[in-house]
Amino acid sequence: MARAATTSDVFNAIAEPQRREILVLLRTGERPVTVLAQELGMTQPRASKHLRVLKEVGLVRDRKAGKQRLYCLDAHGLRAVHEWTGGFERFWAETFDRLDAYVRELKQTRQEE
Amino acid sequence: MSTTADREIVISRVIDAPRELVFEAFTEVGHLSRWWGPDGFTTTTRSFEFRVGGEWDFVMHGPDGTDYQEWISWTEIAPPERIALRHGEAPDDPNAFESVLTFEPAGAATRIGMRTVFPTRELRDEAVEKYHAVEGGEQTLANLAAYVTGVARKGSED
Repeated sequence: MARAATTSDVFNAIAEPQRREILVLLRTGERPVTVLAQELGMTQPRASKHLRVLKEVGLVRDRKAGKQRLYCLDAHGLRAVHEWTGGFERFWAETFDRLDAYVRELKQTRQEE
Repeated sequence: MSTTADREIVISRVIDAPRELVFEAFTEVGHLSRWWGPDGFTTTTRSFEFRVGGEWDFVMHGPDGTDYQEWISWTEIAPPERIALRHGEAPDDPNAFESVLTFEPAGAATRIGMRTVFPTRELRDEAVEKYHAVEGGEQTLANLAAYVTGVARKGSED
């Protein structure tokens, strides 16, 4: 079966590790491409290219702020991923996120004692 | 291929803590109540006895105010490697499913495996599509973003 183009398929878009790093960074707030490129140690054209792909599949949005263009997460594109993974797996993905945070905290507390 | 392949769900996840500690988080209600359920969920425990044949009888409260009756009974406990349990709404729940949790060292971290076997394929498919209120509910952008991180983590482990 032919592979869907990266620019139209959200799964292909998030298969690329650097694009996932961009999404993780954008969790904490919107950023201009210059800052994203710097934080991820990549060239600005490369970061721009990734952002263009992420925007086309609906994972990021941008807005103009003065001379800058700011990028932020867009939940819209994730719908397909959610539908694919389904309720049970999502339930446990989020639960294990909380377990991870909790035992890290526990580890820290025990080390301090 | 196992004979239960069409009615099971297998989930794997690395947790950033030593195995003994991750296992311990499953053994006491004081721990479990701190992390059980997705973001925004809380639990109220009626009874809890962590032993083979023991039960955890509790209510899970969803972020939208919905309450879910939950019942878990342990069928195998092998510290710090393995826990097997039955999970349903009540002891006589015909739709109860069985989960086996395994804990393996992964460097300084722990890989949890969770294999859940449903009574029928239909119940498996139903769980995939709509497990509690997590599915279809209004999700905040923060939750979606946390999910992206989960996906990213899973991807980077492959």
